Amino acid sequence: MMTLVPQTLLRIGLVAALAVGLLLGEGLHSAASSASAQEVHVSGPLAGADAVKKLRLWREMRLHVEPFFAFTIGDEYSRSLIVGGELRFHFLDWLGIGGWGGYSVAKLDTNLTKEVESKGVTTNANRLDLPDRREFTQQVGRINWWSGVELHFVPFRGKLAMFQKVFFDADLDVFVGAAFVGVEERANAVGQPSLSDVSFCEIAGNPNDAGCLESQQARSKRTAIAPSFGIAFSAFFHDFLGIALRWRGIPFKYNTGGTDNNKDGVIDSNDRIRQFNNMFSVGLIFVLPPKIKTTD
Amino acid sequence: MREFGGISLLIAALFMAFPTAARAQMEFSLDEVDEGDSKPAKESEDQGDLIDQLAASDDAEGGPTEPMPQREEIAEEIYAVQQIYALRLKRFELAPSVAFTLNDPYLKHYGLGLAGNYWFTNVLAVGINFIWYDWGTNPFERGTDLVPRIQNQFRLGVPINDWQFGLWANFTYVPFYGKFKVRKKIFQWDSYLIGGVGLMRTKPIAVFDPEFRSFDWRTNIAFNVGAGLRIFLTRYLTFFTEFRAYMWPDQFENTAVDPGAPEDSSTWLQSGSTFVANTSIQLGFTLFLPIKFEYRLPK
Repeated sequence: MMTLVPQTLLRIGLVAALAVGLLLGEGLHSAASSASAQEVHVSGPLAGADAVKKLRLWREMRLHVEPFFAFTIGDEYSRSLIVGGELRFHFLDWLGIGGWGGYSVAKLDTNLTKEVESKGVTTNANRLDLPDRREFTQQVGRINWWSGVELHFVPFRGKLAMFQKVFFDADLDVFVGAAFVGVEERANAVGQPSLSDVSFCEIAGNPNDAGCLESQQARSKRTAIAPSFGIAFSAFFHDFLGIALRWRGIPFKYNTGGTDNNKDGVIDSNDRIRQFNNMFSVGLIFVLPPKIKTTD
Repeated sequence: MREFGGISLLIAALFMAFPTAARAQMEFSLDEVDEGDSKPAKESEDQGDLIDQLAASDDAEGGPTEPMPQREEIAEEIYAVQQIYALRLKRFELAPSVAFTLNDPYLKHYGLGLAGNYWFTNVLAVGINFIWYDWGTNPFERGTDLVPRIQNQFRLGVPINDWQFGLWANFTYVPFYGKFKVRKKIFQWDSYLIGGVGLMRTKPIAVFDPEFRSFDWRTNIAFNVGAGLRIFLTRYLTFFTEFRAYMWPDQFENTAVDPGAPEDSSTWLQSGSTFVANTSIQLGFTLFLPIKFEYRLPK
């Protein structure tokens, strides 16, 4: 029950659009109205003063180094466990740029994959899709490595207290950018002799692959470029140390099951399906220089 | 397109419910609170919660013993920390919403929900929420494209359950709150954690032997956890979105059919339960009652 349906991206977009619409609508509606009442009513000696004094600048002109552990969610057939790192530099406390990368160190098959392995049935009508159910994991598409560059916005920040004993600064980091992903999929194959009666496959180097068994193991690799975006909650416990909980979405197409999804008797790039790939990560933030600055 | 039609209808229905209130102005003005009700707090013997002191309660009859100070003087003295724009303390919250399931790979579920919470502190509430999912539609029309792929490519049937409704009792905790500015408007927001226990009504859709099998709705004990974001549009109306994970042990249709006794209903269900975790996004509005509340200003 853990796979995202393809429409998830659209739903999330709908949510975001609704929220932005509400906010902008309110803002535009009030554009001609009087200035914020908050400013008007500050009539004491602090009138016109900075909103915050002694603000700790966790990000401005500082470098964030963040090793992280991540796992993908919502995969149809195989989840990835990822170890990686992220590097960010913030020109302002609320604006920065960064790059990230990670490697899939392990895979976790979903229940659906286990079901196919144990109960899948192969006939000549579906031999191209499932040559041998016991080897199904060999044909599943995988993501081997991940990387990207992103712009980071930090619109919200504040302080948190835990049990009124432990206090720390926290902020929300919204980011958007481009991702470069190492995809490994089942290699191209043509089912023969006919679409509905496949007994062998044509693959590169073997025009007569009996039972398509070699085709099931044949792999091809490519780099996919996709948009990436997400949100992170960061909490800082020391001048140079913090923790980040991050969600990142990277939608792109690939052949998740190594199957003939468009039913044309050929496994190729036309069988790629749009997937809303997303991951959750936990990272440790090291901030350089270690000494933090504060505003006046 | 059918899906977006359904989503649009749900959202439109939600917006129609609050056509004017959602456009209400939010001003951080003392004028918006009853002027005459802004009283200085009584000499407090307790050293308790500041929120308790700021919010008037029903039994707060013991007002000031000294003459009521002028408003301008008050503003002069409490400029450093502005009043929280809207208090939740001792208010009832009514929250209609729409729910979209995120992670069911086989079936789409759309729900219309209603929640009620009572805030017994400014950051803690207890309440219930209810979501109705059964709109009389054919569940197979709500199936995702993964189901036919699995059937055609792997010759596998997929046991699927449909949902009728869920009902939960919850605690809500607000650990974060703050303000943000959009053009010249300032909005108060808060973020909350929510969790509770309740029930979920589900039933299997007969897939493997529909000629003989039919199922009734069954009640499952369910749990839920989630997190949400609430933006105050006025002191009593908010827009909220929340992420909820509803979890319950569910029984699915038996994929094996007994050819000797297919009509034997004791063989229709799988013997064990499967843990289901439905993650969903909910969007809605909350109405805080009473609409007006009183601040009692500290001396």
